Amino acid sequence: METIFRLLRSIIWSYAKLREKISPGWIQKNSSRIKEWELMAYAYSRSLIGVIGGVIVLAVFILAVIGPLLAWEPYWEYKIVYDESLRYRGPCLPPSCTGYPLLGTDEWGRDIIAMSLYGFRISFVISIVVVLLGAPLGIILGLIAGYKGGVVDEIIMRITDIFLAFPGLVLAIAFASVLPQRIRGFLEVNNIARAFFSGLFGLRQEEYGQLAALLSIWIAMVIVWWPGYARIVRGSVLSVREMPFVEAAKLSGLSTWSILFKHILPNVLSPVLVMMTFDIATATLFAASLSFLGLGPQEPVPELGFMISKAGGYFPERSSHVVIYLGFILLMMALGWNLLGDALRDILDPRTRRAIEYRLEKEKKK
Amino acid sequence: MGLASFIARRILTFIPTLIGVLLITYLIAYAIPADPVRAWVGEKLMNPETLEQIKTKYKFNAPWYEQFMFLIQQLLTGQLEDPVRHRNVFTELTSRFAVTVELAIVGFMFLVIIGLPLGIIAAIKKDSPVDFAVRVLALLGSSLPSFVLYYFLILVLFVHTRTTYLAGIPMPSGKCISDLAALPQSVPVLGNVASAIGSVPMFGAMMCGEWSVVADTFKRLYLPGLALGLLNGGFIARIVRNSLLDSLSAEFILYAKARGLRKLSVWKHALRNAMVPVVTVLGLNFGGLLSGAIIAETVFNIPGLGRYMYDAIMRLNFPVIIACTFLIAVIYIVVNLVVDILYAVIDPRIRY
Repeated sequence: METIFRLLRSIIWSYAKLREKISPGWIQKNSSRIKEWELMAYAYSRSLIGVIGGVIVLAVFILAVIGPLLAWEPYWEYKIVYDESLRYRGPCLPPSCTGYPLLGTDEWGRDIIAMSLYGFRISFVISIVVVLLGAPLGIILGLIAGYKGGVVDEIIMRITDIFLAFPGLVLAIAFASVLPQRIRGFLEVNNIARAFFSGLFGLRQEEYGQLAALLSIWIAMVIVWWPGYARIVRGSVLSVREMPFVEAAKLSGLSTWSILFKHILPNVLSPVLVMMTFDIATATLFAASLSFLGLGPQEPVPELGFMISKAGGYFPERSSHVVIYLGFILLMMALGWNLLGDALRDILDPRTRRAIEYRLEKEKKK
Repeated sequence: MGLASFIARRILTFIPTLIGVLLITYLIAYAIPADPVRAWVGEKLMNPETLEQIKTKYKFNAPWYEQFMFLIQQLLTGQLEDPVRHRNVFTELTSRFAVTVELAIVGFMFLVIIGLPLGIIAAIKKDSPVDFAVRVLALLGSSLPSFVLYYFLILVLFVHTRTTYLAGIPMPSGKCISDLAALPQSVPVLGNVASAIGSVPMFGAMMCGEWSVVADTFKRLYLPGLALGLLNGGFIARIVRNSLLDSLSAEFILYAKARGLRKLSVWKHALRNAMVPVVTVLGLNFGGLLSGAIIAETVFNIPGLGRYMYDAIMRLNFPVIIACTFLIAVIYIVVNLVVDILYAVIDPRIRY
C-alpha cells in the first residue's frame, strides 16, 4: 500500500516539475491542486478493491499491448488441416498430461491461450475507444444544453430522449449490418488507414474485411453511448451554472467556451469519470455480445465473444473449456474496471475525501 | 398541477420522440445499400415481374419521404404486412411479444425474489457475510458476460439434472384459445381486455384453469428467468441496501424510535421511504426485459421479441423492424411514465 502511494506521489511530482519547467511558478500557483492529488493518491492506495482493480486493469492493458506480439500461434493457421483430432481438444494440465495446448484448442485446433492474447487487444481497444469518443460527445452536448437552456436545451434533450428510447442494440445491429460494406471499400483503397487499423487491432492487413466489421461495431457503439453522458452532465451543469464563480467568470468577460470548459466542466467531471470507468466494463461486454450474435468480425479473427458463440454450438460435451476460459477472461476485463470505478467513486467524492484527510492528519499527530 | 395534466403533458412530449425514433429507424434502413426486395423474395423465386410487383406494393420507387409516410400510415392503421412471411406483422408481433412478456414476468419474479430480501438483510446486517455476498453478486452481475452465465446455468441445470427443456413454448389447449378469442363478443369491453391478457399463453392458461400448462411454462422459462434475475439481482440488492441505510439514518426514524414505536413499525416507515429509488430501478429493469433479451432468447432458444427483431434486421425486413422499434420505444416511454406516477403513490410529497 505504502509503495503504491509513493509511486503515485512521485508521478504527481514529476508531472508538477515538468509543468514548472515549461512555465515557472506553476507549482506555487497550483500547490492546493497538488495537495488534492496527493490526497487522492493516498485514498486510492488505502482502498483494497481499488488497488486490485488497478492491478487487473494494468495487467489487461499490458496483455493487450504485447498480446498479439507474444501470441505463439498465428490465428490464420488452421491446425485441423493437418490433424483432425485437434478440434476442441480439452485442457492438458501438466502433472498428468504434458502435451502442448495447456488449456485446449478451439474448433480450428488453435491454442486458445494464444488466441485469447489476440482477443485481449481487440476487446480492450474497442471498449476504450468507444468510451473515449462517446463520452466527450455526450459531455459537450450536455454542457451546451445545460448552460444555454431554452430552445437549445429543449432540442438537444429531445434528441437525447429519442436515442434513449431507441433500443440501443437495434441501432448497433443495424449499423453493424449496414456499415461493413462501405468501410470495407474505404479500407481497400486507403493503405494508410488499413495499416493503422490493422496495427491497432493486432490483425493482419489482409483481414481488412473483418477490420471493417470491427470498425462498424465501433461506430455503432459510439452512437448509442453518448445520451447517458449528455443527461448526467446537463443535470450537474444546471446546478453549477447558478454558482457565484460562474457569475464572476461571466462578469470578467470570459468567452462562453472558456467558461464552459475551464470553470464548469471541472466541477461536473467527477461523476462523469466514475461513469466512464464503469462504462468501459459495459462496453467490453457489449462488444463481445455483438460479436456473440454474429455481427462482429468473422473467421479467422479470434474475437472473444465470437469464439464463445462458436463454442456454444458444441456445448457442453466438447467445448465447455473454451466457454469457461474465454468467459473468465471477459469477466476479468470487466471486473477490473468495475472495481476501479467503485474505488474512484469514493476517491472523487469530496465528502469522503475530507474524511480521509481528517484520518490522515490524526495519524500524523500520533 | 394535477396528475391528469401532468400525464397529458408527458404524452404530448412523447409524440416527437416517437416520430424521431421511427425516422431514425427508417433512415438507417434506407441507407442500407443492399436491395431488400431480393432478400425478401429469395434467389429462387426471383423473376422481374414479382420484383416489380413487390416494389410497387411497398412504394420502393417513390421518394423516401413518401415511403416513410406510407409505412407510418400502415403502422398506425395496423395493416403493416410482413413481406417475408406474407402475413400481418401485428399477428406475429403479438405472439412473439406474448412470449417476451412471459419471460419478462418470470425474470422479474426472480429479480425481486433475489434482490429485495438480500438487500434488506444486507442493510440490517451491515458488513456481515451477507452484505459482502451481495457486493460480490452485484459485481459479478455487472462483470460477467451474460451468455457465459447462460451456458454455465445450462451446464448445471439442464445437462446434469434435466429439470428443464430448451425447445418450444407451452400453449393452452385449442379450446381455451378459441374460448378466449370469443370473449369480446359476449362481454363488450371487459372481454376485450381479458382476451388481450389471455393472448399471453401463461395468462390464457390461468384463465382457463389449465394449471399444468402454467407449470410447464414455468418449467420451460425458469432457467432464463433465473439467469436474468441473477444478472441484475445483485445490483437491485445494492440499491435496496443503500437506500434503506439512508432512510434508516434519517431523523424521522430517530423520532419514531424516540416515540417508542415498535421495531416493526419503525421498519415500515424506513422501508416505505427507501422504496422510491428501488421502484425506479425495478421499473426500468422490467422495461428492459419487455424490450426483449436478445442474447438470452438466442441461447435458450425462445421465440420472443428480441429474436424476431434480430432476424428481421438480418433479412432487411423493414416493416417488421419498424413495428418492433415502435413497440420498444412505446414500452420505454410507458415504463418511464408509470415509474413517475408510482413515485407520487409511494411518496406523497411528490406532486405533479
